[in-house]
Amino acid sequence: MPREIITLQVGQCGNQIGMEFWKQLCLEHGISKDGILEDFATQGGDRKDVFFYQADDQHYIPRALLIDLEPRVINGIQNSEYRNLYNHENIFVSDHGGGAGNNWASGYHQGKGVEEDIMDMIDREADGSDSLEGFVLCHSIAGGTGSGMGSYLLETLNDRYSKKLVQTYSVFPNQMETSDVVVQPYNSLLTLKRLTLNADCVVVLDNTALNRIAVERLHLSNPTFAQTNSLVSTVMSASTTTLRYPGYMNNDLVGLLASLIPTPRCHFLMTGYTPLTVERQANVIRKTTVLDVMRRLLQTKNIMVSSYARTKEASQAKYISILNIIQGEVDPTQVHESLQRIRERKLVNFIEWGPASIQVALSRKSPYVQTAHRVSGLMLASHTSIRHLFSKCLSQYEKLRKKQAFLDNYRKFPMFADNDLSEFDESRDIIESLVDEYKACESPDYIKWGMEDPDHVLTGEGNASGTVDPKLAV
Amino acid sequence: MEEEDQQKVADLIKELVLRLLSQNPISGSQPLTSNSPAFQKYLRYAVRILSARLRSSIAPDSAAIAESIKRRLANQGKSSQALTFSELYTKFASKTGPGSVDNKWAVLHLLDIISEDRKNASTQLDSSSVLLPNLAFNDAELGNDSWVSRRKGGKEKGWSNGVLLVSKDPENLRDIAFREFVNLVKEENEVKEEVLVRDVLYACQGIDGNYVKFDASSDGYVLLDSIKVPRATGLMVRKLCELGWLFRKVKGHISESMDRFPAEDVGTVGQAFCAALQDELSDYYKLLAVLEAQSLNPIPLVSDSASSGNYLSLRRLSVWFAEPMVKMRLMAVLVDKCKVLKGGAMAGAIHLHAQHGDPMVQEFMKRLLRRVCSPLFEMVRSWVLEGELEDIFAEFFIVGQPVKAESLWREGYMLHAGMLPSFISQSLAQRILRTGKSINFLRVCCDDRFWAEAATQAAAAAGTSTRRGGLGYGKTDALESLVDEAAKRIDKHLLDVIYNRYKFKEHCLAIKRYLLLGQGDFVQYLMDIVGPELSEPANTISSFQLAGLLETAIRASNAQYDDPDILDRLRVQMMPHGSGDRGWDVFSLEYDARVPLDTVFTESVMAKYLRIFNFLWKLRRVEHALIGAWKTMKPNCITSHSFNKLQHAVKLQLLSTLRRCQVLWDEMNHFVSNLQYYIMFEVLEVSWSTLSNEMEVAKDLDDLLAAHEKYLNSIVEKSLLGERSQSLYKSLFVLFDLILRFRSHADRLYEGIHELQARTETSLPSQDKSKSRKQVSDRSSEPGSWISDGRKALTQRTSEFLRNMGQDLDAISKEYSLLLENFISQLPVQQHVDLKFLLFRLDFTEFYSRMHPSS
Repeated sequence: MPREIITLQVGQCGNQIGMEFWKQLCLEHGISKDGILEDFATQGGDRKDVFFYQADDQHYIPRALLIDLEPRVINGIQNSEYRNLYNHENIFVSDHGGGAGNNWASGYHQGKGVEEDIMDMIDREADGSDSLEGFVLCHSIAGGTGSGMGSYLLETLNDRYSKKLVQTYSVFPNQMETSDVVVQPYNSLLTLKRLTLNADCVVVLDNTALNRIAVERLHLSNPTFAQTNSLVSTVMSASTTTLRYPGYMNNDLVGLLASLIPTPRCHFLMTGYTPLTVERQANVIRKTTVLDVMRRLLQTKNIMVSSYARTKEASQAKYISILNIIQGEVDPTQVHESLQRIRERKLVNFIEWGPASIQVALSRKSPYVQTAHRVSGLMLASHTSIRHLFSKCLSQYEKLRKKQAFLDNYRKFPMFADNDLSEFDESRDIIESLVDEYKACESPDYIKWGMEDPDHVLTGEGNASGTVDPKLAV
Repeated sequence: MEEEDQQKVADLIKELVLRLLSQNPISGSQPLTSNSPAFQKYLRYAVRILSARLRSSIAPDSAAIAESIKRRLANQGKSSQALTFSELYTKFASKTGPGSVDNKWAVLHLLDIISEDRKNASTQLDSSSVLLPNLAFNDAELGNDSWVSRRKGGKEKGWSNGVLLVSKDPENLRDIAFREFVNLVKEENEVKEEVLVRDVLYACQGIDGNYVKFDASSDGYVLLDSIKVPRATGLMVRKLCELGWLFRKVKGHISESMDRFPAEDVGTVGQAFCAALQDELSDYYKLLAVLEAQSLNPIPLVSDSASSGNYLSLRRLSVWFAEPMVKMRLMAVLVDKCKVLKGGAMAGAIHLHAQHGDPMVQEFMKRLLRRVCSPLFEMVRSWVLEGELEDIFAEFFIVGQPVKAESLWREGYMLHAGMLPSFISQSLAQRILRTGKSINFLRVCCDDRFWAEAATQAAAAAGTSTRRGGLGYGKTDALESLVDEAAKRIDKHLLDVIYNRYKFKEHCLAIKRYLLLGQGDFVQYLMDIVGPELSEPANTISSFQLAGLLETAIRASNAQYDDPDILDRLRVQMMPHGSGDRGWDVFSLEYDARVPLDTVFTESVMAKYLRIFNFLWKLRRVEHALIGAWKTMKPNCITSHSFNKLQHAVKLQLLSTLRRCQVLWDEMNHFVSNLQYYIMFEVLEVSWSTLSNEMEVAKDLDDLLAAHEKYLNSIVEKSLLGERSQSLYKSLFVLFDLILRFRSHADRLYEGIHELQARTETSLPSQDKSKSRKQVSDRSSEPGSWISDGRKALTQRTSEFLRNMGQDLDAISKEYSLLLENFISQLPVQQHVDLKFLLFRLDFTEFYSRMHPSS
């Protein structure tokens, strides 16, 4: 009766990072490319059944749905050496294979069209698990399929499986280079609305930051998608170690997320990882003590989300929560020392409206994967500075919207038919209120935020004005 | 030839006696013939004197004698005589061959003595002592004269100075006085000294003599009052008789002990002691026998001219007795000391007396102790090498008692301090105890047979055999090395057995995983599936069913990969319950350690584990409840536009209530999860790593027990379960209960909101209302329903519900703040430092210290 998690990888990006994720998981659990358990990996200690199910004694199959509207990436997977890993019934490629044309509305609309097929697959997977804990969605927010169809799936899952958790690994577009997808801001905004309303937890993977890290930390002059994707898979696998290697705490997704997300709306998590390497580049050996790892995890340069904050704003940014997952051979006594040092040096700013602390989970390292580092660490954190990323999205949207550019592509679809662009406005409002809530979290008065007149109830129809529209703040 | 010589000597003696007697004026009146009885008597006497084997104290060296004579002459100023003497001596000495004197030194010595005697004779009253006193009592002068003159005529001057004339003078006053004194003495000495000597000798064998008898009233041998002896003699006798008294005591003890054997209070050590005493006494007997023989044969010394004819006088006896007296005294003291003691205590008492500066005493005591301790050392040997407690008389310093296997190690064997001789140090005794205990433990509890090998090796390494002997008093080094070698090997073997065959570490780990909830996934499923069951009243729950659920949880979690033997030992236990108890209050897990590990995991140890389990289980339950609450309020559960139709103020109210609920949840969750982190890192893992390290270095089972004890106690202490933190623990449980209460409130709040959401989303037609109203009134505690008539009523209902919920939440929040403040304020004043870690975690951002700067 494991707490099974079903992974949905949607769209080109989602399938790419999903594939990397499964590769990593197979390595860590000693599962071959065909899904057969390696001979050396028979002794347990790890939980494979959270992410895999057993077709027979030795054969492990990922609980994964591979969904795309165009066949290129999925064909690639099906032709790769991992082709026998996945359950072929779990692969969905739309019949026409034309993709979503980087149009959110198209993806969303097509999603609606194939809802039944996909939900059948999901239901089948859900039925196959004893106590389904939730879903993980891998996608990008900028394209068409991952964002549009992903958004539709989020809404559907929230409706159909309201008791289950929905976590997403959402890749945010690289803001530094001009994208070939000009409507990226529209897509992002519309997806963000669903991420805000229909997901329980969003792990933000910022391509801008991933590129920066690849260039600055890994010294790759021109990082490829494969390289940044391997960073993503590292983060994804590390963030699930406590589920796969059970210990005292954080053995299920809800336990992991609950402490990280005390304020339901602020459920966007940043990640940091150290020490960072990409494949075949394990030559940089760093001193790795728990303190080193924890300290480095707090450094901006290791954070996989770009900070667009200005200096003044950055100094006001606060952590709502932090969970450090430390992997490897760790002396538990070091944890306390490290926490003490971090507090002494005031390396971390926490919210003031409630108690908070750095949570630390110690996790085992896979015995089958050799690393040059004794200790590695992943940080999952809810940090208010993430609002600047959303602000950036908003401002890019505003720019585009002002020009009324590229809206025609959207008007073709029912949601925006008859020039009804209220979806855009609503999304904008929601993101704006999200930014405001994050901002409010930086103040000690968060509890009172949004309520000017809390005692004044039932005063007729009069519209008492708050700092934000309460409907958005719920 | 020889016969001829002897005949010649006999003839010579005869002639000598005849001459001496014939020159005696007194006997001269009766003509003496060689056949007369008087002559025969004198002859016999003379022969006896001559055949006496008493030898002169001077070395038979003629040159030395000659030299001393010469020097004396020179000293006396007769240098010319000295020269003459030396000339004569040279001639005399140079004469060899037939006809010359063989025994030159004897001749010289004889002459020397005679000349000296004659000189002394002038100061002696009894002139008869000059030469042959009994032969020629009154004719010393003549005898001397003739004797000397015939042999050494050159010395006439020396004896003609008239000294003997003085002694013969009846008017000499001194002579008269002395005679009177002698008479007086004779009168006082009613009993002759030799008789007394014999009596003393008897007394010293514990036998009453004629005059010296044991007197019970004065507890000692005394002279009969009727006997008149000089006081000095009396004192002497009494002094000498002390030996008899002592002997009587020692002898009495020995025979008493021997008679009583095999009585419990004698024992083998007591026996050995008696045997050793016996041996010492036999030496003493030998001495007495010699003395007695001597007392019967009074033999005068040639050189001794005193009137006493007895060789053995009381004074001599006192000299003879000096050493035996010391020994006897020691023995008597020991007998006194040891009368009530036995075994090791006896050896110890004797050992105390052996600490003596006198080497003689030391030697004696050592000899005694070697004998006395040999049974003791034999016990040590067989205990250390075979684990046998060969101690039928309860003499050993280790006592065993029949106990159950599980308490064999702790209670089966004890050191008996009273029986521990002081020459075995406490630490050595402990090692001895442990080694034998280990063997017994291996034999009884571990069913192990390979320890004998280790014991044999140990004995070989220590240089002794496993057979008897080889150890003894005074060889403490040998004992130590034997014990050390044995301990080292046996303990190592024992630990190997415990670690490898009985998988101590694995069981510790299993206990940590299951009883201390280390196996998170297992605990989670267990809580999931037994949760509903445990909410029932305790007396309705079947533990059989719970056992089934436990099995399910094991199968569902990674515990399934664990050793079946370990899983088999894990059980559900229902604690005794009262009437109001719910399943939660009585549910616990139990681990059956089994022999021999139950020596470590005793009942009291398991009781501690149980307490820890209960605490952790409760903590988990609270965490579980909070996570459950989070799931009901998780981010995507409320979609924003649901409440658009609500009045603004109600929306605000809703918002505010939700926010308060979330913030309170956050605070509680922070507390609970940090308490968990504290328990995990600062308590369990740290204690575990200490235990692991100590397990590595543990040398014997005691070390292991101590390490585990320390581990367990540190967990108990740090988990607030200790004595010192009782009040803290109580406040903690109040907090836990409050959090559980919060959970049900939060659930109700969200249920209401979801209901509201459902109502408002589907702008309800009126016919549905009644149905939904029924649902609501069923599920919600709120009287009535949300929606009665239209929007206004809905608004009112909502507002009312929110107000009530808000008030409840506020009350909980207030109570929580108070309780938590109280809890936190107690932390710094706790005695133990570890709790500061907890405070550190709870107040990591100084949220609480900012809130209450005073505390």
